[in-house]
Amino acid sequence: MALPLFLRSVEESGFSTWLRESESPFGFYFVLLFHTFGLALLVGANALIDLRLLGFSRSIPLAPLKRFFPIMWAGFGINAATGVLLLISYPTKALTNPVFYTKLVMIGFAIWILTKLQKEVFADTTATEAAMMTRGATLAKWSLLLWIGAITAGRLLAYTFKYILYPF
Amino acid sequence: MNLAHLHLLLNHFPIIGTLVGVGLFLFSLTGRNDDLKRASLIIFAVMALLSLPTFFSGVGAQGAIEEQPGVSKALINRHEGAAILALLFMELTGALSLAALWQSHKSPKPARWNVAAVLILALITVGLMTRVGTTGGDVRHPEISDSSDPAANEGTLGSLVQAFEPSPAKFTKLMTANKYWWAFMMDLHFIGLVMIIGAVGALDLRMLGFAKEFPIASMHRLVPWGLAGFAINVVTGVLAFIGMPAYYTYDLAFWIKIFAVLLLGLNAAAFYLTDTFRVVEHMGPGEDAPPPAKLIAASSLVLWIGVITLGRYIQLYQGSIATR
Repeated sequence: MALPLFLRSVEESGFSTWLRESESPFGFYFVLLFHTFGLALLVGANALIDLRLLGFSRSIPLAPLKRFFPIMWAGFGINAATGVLLLISYPTKALTNPVFYTKLVMIGFAIWILTKLQKEVFADTTATEAAMMTRGATLAKWSLLLWIGAITAGRLLAYTFKYILYPF
Repeated sequence: MNLAHLHLLLNHFPIIGTLVGVGLFLFSLTGRNDDLKRASLIIFAVMALLSLPTFFSGVGAQGAIEEQPGVSKALINRHEGAAILALLFMELTGALSLAALWQSHKSPKPARWNVAAVLILALITVGLMTRVGTTGGDVRHPEISDSSDPAANEGTLGSLVQAFEPSPAKFTKLMTANKYWWAFMMDLHFIGLVMIIGAVGALDLRMLGFAKEFPIASMHRLVPWGLAGFAINVVTGVLAFIGMPAYYTYDLAFWIKIFAVLLLGLNAAAFYLTDTFRVVEHMGPGEDAPPPAKLIAASSLVLWIGVITLGRYIQLYQGSIATR
């Protein structure tokens, strides 16, 4: 099967080439670094909220955990932006690997759950902790599973690719 | 200073330190002295941390001498196998010591099983560390034994222990033979990272004044999650190192990362072993942590960000340290 030519066009663009081949510490590895920071902010805080909703660390008051939503959205923003840059660096490598699409689908669902947590569990400031935990338990379980899956898929991208660059 | 120098500088600590720790631990049991017991548990935790750079610097020390006349690769391999086994028991001792310290903080008496387990593991560690020391001495001290054959200076006990020591070359192959095993380890390393930042980052932010609705004590309850993440990352990190020793050894980013991890240990000591922790421990919602606690929280955040940064740059800086 012939690979779409736009992969090669992106890859041959000056920006993609610079990201990939620059020996500057502010090239590819800088983007990768911020992708990791974003992961730590987003999933670190989300895992904390999920575990609390599932009944761990009950001494932490539940309602104020909504303060972590801006941190998580910042993490997501960083990762959406750096994710696009990583995709521009190696479009063929990512888009020819089914694991990449699996990762995107899992992130999509995890983010959808995050919005549901925000709207259905944390928006109602009159809800008791017990009510919040009842509403959030199933969401929290799926959230944890999806994030573990997304991180795993992301790590696998480094090892399961078919092409690194557009083949000639 | 080169890596061989670093190895010689560090390699006495795990041996003598665990010996001192065991001595104090035994005294604390006979005298029922809980402060002494705490001190020895802290020593075990510190030695577990210091053993990591000691182990990592061994490969560089090997690289520095293995081509020299009179240096036996068989002796180096035996030393490395002994070190892997001793490191395993050292890290187990350190992990259980931290668990015991956590328990002793929550109730005055740590659980009996834990005290017994720490004692048994620490005694085994002392024995294995002694062997690491003597096999290491055999590599470079012909005045003690000038045989290059590991079997020539092996006692009965030594050959028995050797049966349990991995062969470094085989272990290395085992780690890298299957790319999915490697990917799984790296995956766990990232999940451990998330656990650390989720727990320690939340506590640090609260101490710095973010989300003061939380009592500090409740955020502090997260610390075991952070420690569990750290344990996962020590295990997966050491296994990765064993899988690609030369890749990590000659990498400046790797070494600065390990140094930053040691500084984080120092930072934790500054928190728990001074009055800082006692002051903030029972702070409720809305209360402001004093400046020393804020300084420690800020150092922790900066150092963890540094650790993540340096970890990401290991690949870029491979080969940044000269091999000779």
